[in-house]
Amino acid sequence: MLVAIFGAAFAFAANQISPLGLALTRDYFPSGTVHSVRPVAGLKVSQVPGTNFEALSPAQSLAAQMKERGLQLLDDRQAALLFHDPRFKQDIIVFIDARDEEHYQQGHVPGAYQFDPYHPEKYFNTVLPVCQKAEQIVVYCNGGDCDDSESAALLLRDVGISNQKLFVYGGGIAEWQTNSLPVEIGARNSGNLRNMNK
Amino acid sequence: MDASTVLARWLLGAAFLHMGLSKALHPVDFLKLLRQYDIVQSSLLLNSMAAALPWFEVFCGLLLLLGIAVRGTALTLMVMLVPFTGLVLHRALLLQSALAIPFCAVKFDCGCGTGEEFICRKLLENFLLLLLSVWLLLGHGRQLSLRFNLLKSSPQ
Repeated sequence: MLVAIFGAAFAFAANQISPLGLALTRDYFPSGTVHSVRPVAGLKVSQVPGTNFEALSPAQSLAAQMKERGLQLLDDRQAALLFHDPRFKQDIIVFIDARDEEHYQQGHVPGAYQFDPYHPEKYFNTVLPVCQKAEQIVVYCNGGDCDDSESAALLLRDVGISNQKLFVYGGGIAEWQTNSLPVEIGARNSGNLRNMNK
Repeated sequence: MDASTVLARWLLGAAFLHMGLSKALHPVDFLKLLRQYDIVQSSLLLNSMAAALPWFEVFCGLLLLLGIAVRGTALTLMVMLVPFTGLVLHRALLLQSALAIPFCAVKFDCGCGTGEEFICRKLLENFLLLLLSVWLLLGHGRQLSLRFNLLKSSPQ
């Protein structure tokens, strides 16, 4: 009993002190959806008893989820078109990477702004003014079972960015790379690009 | 001195220290994994579990390594291991059913701090951790412990 009491006290104190600690009262998942069983890459899950994947493919499930939240889903072709649109260079079209620092540094859509929905306070100052000016905002994360792009889009919506401007690229960086589209390594506009096949 | 009992305590302590730290250093990843079990609906409860569990494991690991409250810690770990193993097993069965693959071919990150693992290996690991906990609970592993050796207090 004493171990449990002291352990719990130690654990919450350590979380409080740790710079990586979680904020207990924050809703980290504004999308609210829980995927009890997530699809594994390369395998189709069309019917999973007791989960919200029943009778829906992952793509269908994602599309329905976006619609329910008032968000718009983009496919790879649409995302690539927006990337090649001249308005992208003027920040009228903006790409937002909703992954953490480590993954962002490993490779992101060139010129994409980072906005980790688990630490939004770190990014609001940079991202909010850009999003307010932009006409179209494409939010993405890893793709597949990742719903951080949805969380990021909902956070942006909650701070006043119009639903109409927010698009979620469901395929994410995984699909982007599969399509051999350019990826930027390191910081935004580092100029360190790879996969320039298209 | 029976070296094997001390080694067992250190092994269990080091395992929990390692698993706890690997989660404590990536709390958001652990939070996401914990969420997939769908065990609580309240975000406050979910956040509290994700925030506290890794550091709690670190605490237990340190106690075992130092030899403080060995039996109490072993009991606490057993109380944690049994339901968590049940949850991991339940999730593995769901995945097996969804993917229609053999049970031992199910591989996923259970949020245990050991990354992606095949389920049979994970269950075996947990079983061994449970055995070590029982062993310590029975009063073994007191050698080289803070209370019974370094502070020279005699066991009851």
